[in-house]
Amino acid sequence: MEAMSIGEELLDQRRRRRRAGDPRLSDADREILRRITSGDLAPAFQAALDADVAADPVLGGHDHDD
Amino acid sequence: MIVIDEYLAVRVVGGAWPEGLPDDEDLALPASRHWRLLQRVHAPGDGQLSQILAQISDAGRDGIRHPHPEVLGVLDPRPLLDDAAALAARYGGGLLIAETLAAGLVHGRALWFGTPANVGRHLTRAAEDLGIGVQVIA
Repeated sequence: MEAMSIGEELLDQRRRRRRAGDPRLSDADREILRRITSGDLAPAFQAALDADVAADPVLGGHDHDD
Repeated sequence: MIVIDEYLAVRVVGGAWPEGLPDDEDLALPASRHWRLLQRVHAPGDGQLSQILAQISDAGRDGIRHPHPEVLGVLDPRPLLDDAAALAARYGGGLLIAETLAAGLVHGRALWFGTPANVGRHLTRAAEDLGIGVQVIA
């Protein structure tokens, strides 16, 4: 097997850290973030984000439709 | 640099890497989309969602408030603001869409979203006109 160059090795380490997520989060934190983005709470999370945009004409625009 | 929306940002921070998202470049969230997340962190509101969000640890909240630099960056809005205003005048929509389009235009002519709900009519029309590729990873 061909050895990685030091540059490739550093980039690979960086890629793996990126994919692992924020190391400060606990497993419980990660589970909550999963629930609001792809689990049972995703619709409520989306509704809350949409409400913020709808209530803010600078952020959402006066003719906002998104 | 890959520009992503708040859905992908939360998934990445939480270590749930979205299938199909390239992992060989730094990820960046437009400031207005970070603002959108920060509103949920600091004013979670009522109901089940707020109760769940209140259970996130201080370290977990910090992962959203101050993203780990090796995981997620937040784009400086200042170099994008004039372009964003020009795009809002041309295509409509507010800062959220205009800044996202400006970021996508500058950073690789690509935008990545974690939900179709974040890709509306203004953004779709403008992205097509500007030659910005829109990818949705649901």
